[in-house]
Amino acid sequence: MLLREDGKARLIAGGTDLTLEIRDHTNKFEVLVDVSRIPGLDRIHSDGYRIHLGPLVTMTQVEESRLLKEHAAALWEACSWVGGPQIRNRATLAGNIVSAQPAADGAIALVALNARLKVLGVKGERELMLSDSYIGVGRSAIDASREMIIGIEFEVQHQGEASAFRRMAQRKAMALPQLNCAVWIASSAGYCTNARIAVGPVATMPFRARQAEGYLIGKPLTDETISACAAAVEEEVQPRDSVLRGSGLYRKEMAEVLARETLKLAISRLEGSLV
Amino acid sequence: MKQIRLQINEAWRTGWANPGQTLLDFLRNELNCTEVKQGCGKGDCGACTVMMNGVSIDSCLTLALQAEGAKILTAKGLGTKDNPHPLQEAFVEKGAFQCGFCTPGMIISAKALLDKTPKPNRDEIRRGLSGNICRCTGYKKIEEAVTSASERSSEQCDDRELKD
Repeated sequence: MLLREDGKARLIAGGTDLTLEIRDHTNKFEVLVDVSRIPGLDRIHSDGYRIHLGPLVTMTQVEESRLLKEHAAALWEACSWVGGPQIRNRATLAGNIVSAQPAADGAIALVALNARLKVLGVKGERELMLSDSYIGVGRSAIDASREMIIGIEFEVQHQGEASAFRRMAQRKAMALPQLNCAVWIASSAGYCTNARIAVGPVATMPFRARQAEGYLIGKPLTDETISACAAAVEEEVQPRDSVLRGSGLYRKEMAEVLARETLKLAISRLEGSLV
Repeated sequence: MKQIRLQINEAWRTGWANPGQTLLDFLRNELNCTEVKQGCGKGDCGACTVMMNGVSIDSCLTLALQAEGAKILTAKGLGTKDNPHPLQEAFVEKGAFQCGFCTPGMIISAKALLDKTPKPNRDEIRRGLSGNICRCTGYKKIEEAVTSASERSSEQCDDRELKD
């Protein structure tokens, strides 16, 4: 690790965000450390318990991974929405996390999957939950001038579990999300036993709709409970008025629709593994 | 400044790059590859699309120094006037451009698509070209050209298989 520049250096991988910061002079870097060509850091694999993603895994790799399609459909769907093919070929999932945008599609899905990060710094290795890595809009607890994500991990999908991701945007491609939602759900005999619902961008960081989750857990997965759960999501979220994304009021109402659709999509995936 | 070496359309080239310089700027201004176009400069329009080590990228979002040693393919490397690539032929035949500014990027994205999906359907073509904008709104003919080229390339492959 060449991070002895004491905070003056910055890691760069795909560079799809960073190159713009350099161009627009919104951020000044004295030294850039390019990690994009270090071999072996772009692996996606499962040890049977957890799925491990290396820090250089790109959006395209996620999109093309059969393992992730099967075990983390939410992530697979989310990454296929990021930018266009050229951007997905370069942009890394780890960059999506460190850029710390509350709208980041990949990160929203990873929050619903309860992902954990392995981070290597000057002082050694540490682990933290992805949801704890946010300290503000565009601000990550991971300091890319001193630390590097070396792994993204989450549990494999077990029997009776499923996930899904949906987003609302003005165009089908190359558009930032007005709203996005990822759901992970566990069930047994038609009842919800556990759920995680992540929504963006409705707060300074990816938002967990914990009241809606609490409502759904223990309930049968019927149209009524799903609708009530989606209504609880609307209740909880506080999107801002945004020139780019639409008014807060509109997006709050649409959060209910999006949450309902995402829940239904996730539940439709349960059925195969249920019975 | 650092001197870097990279392969452009199968020829090794050397040039001086600044640390913050984009690959786009380096290709155009240092190596005179003006077939790579600068549009928005921020990854929205795809005019600057090139293939780097086999995948399509926005050269405006990649630093020149990150491309050291890489294999770059630009629209110029696809074919020549006497020996055009099936995509180039199809673009001409279908009239898939008006002003032509988006074409070099469009054609590289189409090439990247056909490399992965030799027989794309309409939705796959649209998705494959979703990172490229044409402001003359010629999308329909571009779509037709890609379809036509995919049929042409597979015919060529069939011929080759027959000969083998």
